[in-house]
Amino acid sequence: MGFWDTITDLVEAATPWSVAEAEAPAQETTEETTAETTQEETETKPEAAAEEPAAEEEAKEEEEEEEEEEEEEEEEELQDPKEVFEEECRNSKECAPAKHHYDECVERVTAAQSQEGGANEDCVEEFFHLVHCATACAAPKLFSVLK
Amino acid sequence: MLARSCVRPMRAFASARNGAVQITKRAASSSSGSSAESPLRLNIAAAAATAVAAGSVGWYYHLYGNSHAMTPAEEGLHPTKYPWVHEQWLKTFDHQALRRGFQVYREVCSSCHSLSRVPYRSLVGSILTVDEAKALAEENEYDAEPNDQGEIEKRPGKLADYLPSPYPNDEAARFANNGALPPDLSLMVKARHGGCDYIFSLLTGYPDEPPAGAQVGAGLYFNPYFPGTGIAMARVLYNGLVEYEDETPATTSQMAKDVTEFLHWAAEPEMDDRKRMGMKVLVITSVLFAMSVWVKRYKWAWLKSRKIVYDPPKEGQTKIRD
Ligand code: HEC
Repeated sequence: MGFWDTITDLVEAATPWSVAEAEAPAQETTEETTAETTQEETETKPEAAAEEPAAEEEAKEEEEEEEEEEEEEEEEELQDPKEVFEEECRNSKECAPAKHHYDECVERVTAAQSQEGGANEDCVEEFFHLVHCATACAAPKLFSVLK
Repeated sequence: MLARSCVRPMRAFASARNGAVQITKRAASSSSGSSAESPLRLNIAAAAATAVAAGSVGWYYHLYGNSHAMTPAEEGLHPTKYPWVHEQWLKTFDHQALRRGFQVYREVCSSCHSLSRVPYRSLVGSILTVDEAKALAEENEYDAEPNDQGEIEKRPGKLADYLPSPYPNDEAARFANNGALPPDLSLMVKARHGGCDYIFSLLTGYPDEPPAGAQVGAGLYFNPYFPGTGIAMARVLYNGLVEYEDETPATTSQMAKDVTEFLHWAAEPEMDDRKRMGMKVLVITSVLFAMSVWVKRYKWAWLKSRKIVYDPPKEGQTKIRD
């Protein structure tokens, strides 16, 4: 939505012959238009293919391969980008000190827990530092991906 | 003795004020009996105060043991700042996101959380069309006006009604949730430190398992962002939980982002107008300010540019200048 769109919107709204739609547009018309457009697409497609058969075929094959890959990805379980980025960030150099402390703490505490007295400390603070580092590092990447 | 020393602080205070002076005096001459007494008393008072402070700390430890107060866990992890687009000065809510967020609220959160300050009519134009909102309102029943016999019948909802709450009252809500009350979400973004960042982090921040050694109470779930880290709400958002009508991939973070933006809208539906009004105010007042500066300089120009000259009479000249 650029500056020019704003102006054209304003002009459109001000013209006496424009129509303001407060309601959703009627269902039928949309169906018709989609049917028309799909028809048009199917009509135009073979023509385009006939013009440059050799080059088109190559391109098509590549496209199909790509499509297949995409479909596979879709069929797989959704991957939360937050987890992906944060995992990357946890293992990055930036968060290495926090991760080192956390891993060490987990080792120490689990070792202590298996002994008699049990652990008299927890790794919450170390965990906080690690999570803080990972989320701060992942935040801009995550929001550039999310809608 | 204690009582007397309590009555005396005024005098002690007065002598403390003179203390500095007296010390310098004493350095000059060592033969002042009365002034030597006050620093001694001061020292005793300081020692007593220290003893009382140390004693109370010791007593506290004796009573409560080596308690962990003011730990980071108690405070909760501060949420990370996320670059929300709608929070920028010149940006508005993304209404597509609001629509998705409302869908998440309706399909996930509304089974536990009310949104009692939002009427259907406010959804019209910002999230739903009139027809959608009316249809949604009619799905629920509301109390009608009393009929001829004074009985209150039910009627389908209309645009002026408010979104229905999942439980009739707080007690029912507590009973259904293990004693924890799911708070109303209408003003949640304004009610929590960190606002959108906090809610987004809270919803997405449940780790797969709590860190080693962490104590999680019965019926609670570990969430680093919740003060105390034990929250009675389990993780609710999982990948693919809802199916968006605009085919946005419904990942956990996408749903959390949408529902958070929706909750921000619920808490502050006037935000877009507020920003526009703020812009107008800034533009108009800055123009007016510039004009007032110009007018002031214009009106004062004659006064500021005049020159006052003192022309003293010449030596030996008696005649006054004309
Ligand atoms: C199974 C019921 C349930 C569902 C579903 C649910 N919540 Fe909760 N929620 C709770 C309970 C119970 C609490 C109170 C937790 C506590 O006080 O420990 C709570 C608390 C909260 C809080 C307040 C935390 C605080 O700082 O006090 C927020 C915000 C919240 N929920 C948001 C949501 C959102 C957004 C959704 C939908 C995505 C949702 N909840 C879905 C039960 C639920």
